[in-house]
Parts: sequence; C-alpha cells; structure tokens
Amino acid sequence: MIFHLDTSSEKAIGIAELQGRIDANNCNDLKKSFSQWLQYSSNIVFDCSGLEFIDSSGLGAIVDCLRKALEAHGDLRLSGLGPKVSLIFEITKAKKLFSMYPDSSSAVASFSLLGSV
Amino acid sequence: MTITEKNINNFAIISLQGILNASSAPKLKSHFEQSPEGVSVVIDLEKVEFIDSSGLGVLVGIARKKKASSAVLKLANLNDRVKKVFEITQAYTLFDIYDDVTAAAIE
Amino acid sequence: MKTIIITKKSDYTWLRDIFPGLHPLLIPLCNKPFIEYLIDFSILVGSSGLRIISDGVISDVENFCEHGSQWGVEISYANILPSESLSKVLEKNSRFCSGERIMIISGLLFIHYNKRSDYRSFFASLPPGEIFGCSNGNLSLTGVPSELGKQETPPLLSPVVLDCIGQYYELSNEILHHRLADYVLPGYSNEAECFIGRNVVLQKSVTVIKPIIIGNNVQIFTGSVIGPGAIIGSNVIVDRESTVSESIVMDNTFIGEQLEVDKKIAAGNLLIDPESGYSLTMEDPHLLSGIKSKGISGSPFQRVTHGLTAAWMIMLLLLPYLLLKPFLKLSGCWKTEKIVYHSMKHGKKISLNRVSIEKQSILASIAVFLSLDRFTWLFWVLNGHLAIIGCSPVSVSQGIQIINNNTAGYRPGVFSYSEAEDWPQNTFDSDIVDHYYAVHSNLIKDIFLTQKALFNRIHHEDKI
Repeated sequence: MIFHLDTSSEKAIGIAELQGRIDANNCNDLKKSFSQWLQYSSNIVFDCSGLEFIDSSGLGAIVDCLRKALEAHGDLRLSGLGPKVSLIFEITKAKKLFSMYPDSSSAVASFSLLGSV
Repeated sequence: MTITEKNINNFAIISLQGILNASSAPKLKSHFEQSPEGVSVVIDLEKVEFIDSSGLGVLVGIARKKKASSAVLKLANLNDRVKKVFEITQAYTLFDIYDDVTAAAIE
Repeated sequence: MKTIIITKKSDYTWLRDIFPGLHPLLIPLCNKPFIEYLIDFSILVGSSGLRIISDGVISDVENFCEHGSQWGVEISYANILPSESLSKVLEKNSRFCSGERIMIISGLLFIHYNKRSDYRSFFASLPPGEIFGCSNGNLSLTGVPSELGKQETPPLLSPVVLDCIGQYYELSNEILHHRLADYVLPGYSNEAECFIGRNVVLQKSVTVIKPIIIGNNVQIFTGSVIGPGAIIGSNVIVDRESTVSESIVMDNTFIGEQLEVDKKIAAGNLLIDPESGYSLTMEDPHLLSGIKSKGISGSPFQRVTHGLTAAWMIMLLLLPYLLLKPFLKLSGCWKTEKIVYHSMKHGKKISLNRVSIEKQSILASIAVFLSLDRFTWLFWVLNGHLAIIGCSPVSVSQGIQIINNNTAGYRPGVFSYSEAEDWPQNTFDSDIVDHYYAVHSNLIKDIFLTQKALFNRIHHEDKI
C-alpha cells in the first residue's frame, strides 16, 4: 500500500494505492494504516486499479475505513475498480455506499468540485 | 472367443464372438500376424460380450499396424457393453466406428 | 423421420471452460436441460428415433437420457472423430439412417418451438438441404419430401446458437419472460409465470415476484426477495435478506446473507456477469459457495486398505531406501525433479519428487526392483492424497482441468494401472488403461494389479 498526498488543489487529498489482495490476512493492516492516513487528510481516495481480489473481511475493512472518514467529516472515494473487484462490490450492495470513479485523478477532482458547490 | 473371416469389396470382415480379454487377446493378435498386412479390415464387434483394457490394447495395436502399411481398420456394430468401454476409456478417438458392416466395407 | 444431433467439442469449448463439471447438452435453460428441448422438438417433428453424436464424452448425456423411454422415443449414441464431415457421419451411421428422412441438428443450436404446434406435415413436405444455418450451427434435412399434407402457413420456428455466456443468459431470459407457455417446464405451476419444484421452503416474509422458476430442495431464508426474473436451480440456499433478480442461480449454490444478485449467473462459488463475460471465483464461503455433493474418493474401507498397504511398504522399504539412496545419489544414478500434481482431494495440489534411476550398477537395479523411486510417494497415501494404485498423477503445469465426470473420478496412484499392462506405447494408450480401471477396478483387482505393476516395472526400465 503506497500513500501520498495530492496538493494540486486547495485541499490536500490522500491517495492510497491498494494492490494485490485484501483478505482476512491483511485487512487489519489496512485498518491500522488508514487511521494514520486520516491524520494527514480526511479526504481519501483508494486507487484500486492494482487490486486483484477482495473477500468479505477485506470489504468489511474498506467499509470500516469509510465510516472513519465520515466521522472525521471527510469522505472515502474509490477509483479504478477492475471488473472482478467491482462484481463483489455489486453483489454485496457495497457499491451503493461509495462514490466510484474510473481513475484516481477524476476521484481527486471530484473533491474540489464538491468543495466549490 | 471365436474368430470368423469373410471378404466384401477387398475388405477382410472379421467377426468376433465371445470375450476379448487378456487371455483371448493373443489369439486375435496372432490371427492378424498371419494375415497379409496391406489388407483393410472391418472388425464386427456385435457379438463381443466383454472387452477389457488388454482387448483394447490389441485393437489399438492392429490399428497402428494397418496405418503403418497404409491400410485401414474400421470397427462396426458396437453393442452397448462394448460402446461403454470405448466411451469411458475415450478409445473411440483412435478408431473409425460404423454402425453397419456393409457401410464400413466401402472405400 | 429420424433425428441426428451432432455436437462437437469445438462447438462448446467456451461452455466447458465456464462449467467444467457439466456436459453442455445438459446445461439447464429455465431448469430444463438443453437436450430435453431438442428431444421434445424432434418428437414434434415426428421423429421415431434419435441419435446423439459427439466427438467428445457423452456418457453424462447417456446416463441422463438413457434409451429415451421417458419421452417415448428411442435414443441411441455414437462417437465420431473431430474432423469428420456430415456425409462421413451419415455413412458411419448408415444403419440408423437407412430408408428414412433424417433431420440433422448440428452445433449447440436451440430451436424455439411451441409445444401445441404440430410440425410433422410441415417438415415432411420440406425439400432436402439446409433449413437454416450459420457459422456454428445448422438444421438440415435429407431424403425425399412427401407430397401429402402441405401446410399453407408454416409454423414459426426461430433458431439460436449458443456461443457465449451472454447468449445463454439472454436465451434463458427470453424463455422466462416471453415463452414460458411454449415449453413443458419442470415444477408445479399453480399460476402463470411461476414454477416451483419439490421440497421448496420459503421462510417468513420472503417476497416472490413473478416471473420465477425454482427447482427442487431450495431454501429461501427470512426477508429475501426472489424475482422478478429469477431462475433458481435445485439444491440452492439463499440466506436471509438477500435479493435475487434477473439472475440465474445454478444447482448446488449457496448465496450468502444480505447480498444483491442482479443480472448475474451464480454457479457454486462462481459469479458471472453475463453482459461483460467476466467471471469471478469466490474464495469466501460467506458470500457465495458451492454446496458439495457426495465425493467419489472411494469407500472408507478401500482408503484404509490403501493406507495400510502403504504403511507396510514404507516399513519394508525404509532400510533399503536409507542405505541405497545416498550411495546412488553420490554416483549420479539418482536424479530427482520436483513436480506439482493434482491431488486426489478435490482442488488440492501436492508436490512430489519424480525420481529417475539409471540402471548402471547392480545396486541401482536393486533400487528399481524395489521401486525405491516411488518411496517418498507412499507417504502421500497415508494422508489420502494418493492411492496405492490409480491413474498416473496429472501435473498442474499440464494445464488440463481435472473434470469429475460421473463415469470416472480422478484417483492418482503411486503406481498406475497402465504400468500393470504391457501394451501401452504412449501416454494416450496409458490413459486408456487408466480410464478403464478407474471404472472397472475393485479392491481385489487393485491388489492383483499392484503386484502386476510392481512386477512389470522390473522389466520396463525405460519407463522409470
């Protein structure tokens, strides 16, 4: 998981690249790292283009991240979901909880659009 | 096992009757060793009551030899028991299988 | 009139890749196997006999249709070779075809018909040749048309070739939404657009929205919503508060709780999006999983016997192995290669050392004589990954999917049946022997064949 801050717009937005698989073995790592990332910014984008597989505990972890972001008055948005990962979000209804974007730059841009409204 | 032979259209028609297994397979093998190599053959399996893997082995061997001497081996009239063995072993992919002897004995 | 149905492996590889355990002619369309539609249609056309011909395995179809007494039509089966033309196929089945008009259905061709129509006189009056056809499926006729009973208005028929998963999904939907009344479908139907099988339990506050079809032994848990447009197979469980709509749930599938299955195909732990063709194998039993049917790994008695034999052989060979192996390894006669094989346990893999011994010295010959090259394999018998005797293990790198047909389960052995026979010359020959005994062996024969294999191995040094 690589995390960096995008400061191109007025707001700093955190971008985390998720890679490989998120399952019962490593979902706690994600939860822990997410708490640290929240200290830099409460607006975070998960770039899922490198994410190959996710199971229900991984999904649980991502939903948990969303809850934390909302509690910190920010948001968690997803980008670049592959067809397989997207299928899991679809059948578990998790798709309805998240705003999803085709790539990370459009996800980052969406935060500033919202800010200007 | 009994082996009877007749000729139709330059084909040797060999009818087998009885059990084709490890003990009767050598008989069929030697029958073919004595007959001329270049003649195409139709083997009628209608009255074969039982065939096992050694029996299949002889048929595969004959098919190979016939192919090497640019003749053909065709099988005809497989009954349900024989067909089942060809099906489970997928041996059917090695043979030309006809449902009629006279149709098989046409070039 | 008689009917010939020809399906070649090349027609259905796509389907075999998606559902490896299911014969393509048995794929359910609205819970009715594909072949049943073809049988029904050929009867409406007036066929007295039906022959199912393929260049692939058809025993599953044969087990299902048997001799056709269920439909009152005689069904027979024949094998052909992949490259054969239609005229060659007809020649090979000349006894079946003689003296009658033949309708030939080739490819995975589905024909929409109506169970109330009579197609006999219409088909009898058609001239020979192709009735309709496309690149990978067609319907044709042979023989002389009869002049009697020409119909003014030909009954409506529309063909569909199943050539991708999206087509399969669309066809199922088409039947469910528009043509339910045209076919005889399984299940009780007290009202239109709703077919429900035996032993179906709908718990409290389950919502069912027509049209739906549900198979046998299905449980729908509290708060779930089924339909509209749901086709649910047999032995299916839908856990609480899930919704299934515009989707096909195949046999033996568990759908987890609070899921939303919309416009999907679920089969065991496989989830398919028919629109894009993407599929996903779920590793998570909470979401989607297969309901396991009975395994075929043999009786417990058989397993214990194999285990005991292995233990006995290990005790016997341990000392020679420990003495000879280091020596042979030093002298360079003992070469090992690590290969990963499919295990007898479904879906598991085992890593085995394939040993080759060069018979240069007397000691090496003794090692071959005692089958020490397979010594380490014996331990895998103890934990049930291998049998003492079975087929040759299939390596994972070969890329062949292990398909559990009804006829023969995959049972890899330390020794293979083909080693017990003298005649096999190549791997295909060995497969024939392995397949034969996979079905025809029993415990007594196993003992005899193991001895024979051990004995044969002494002579066939080139095989080791």
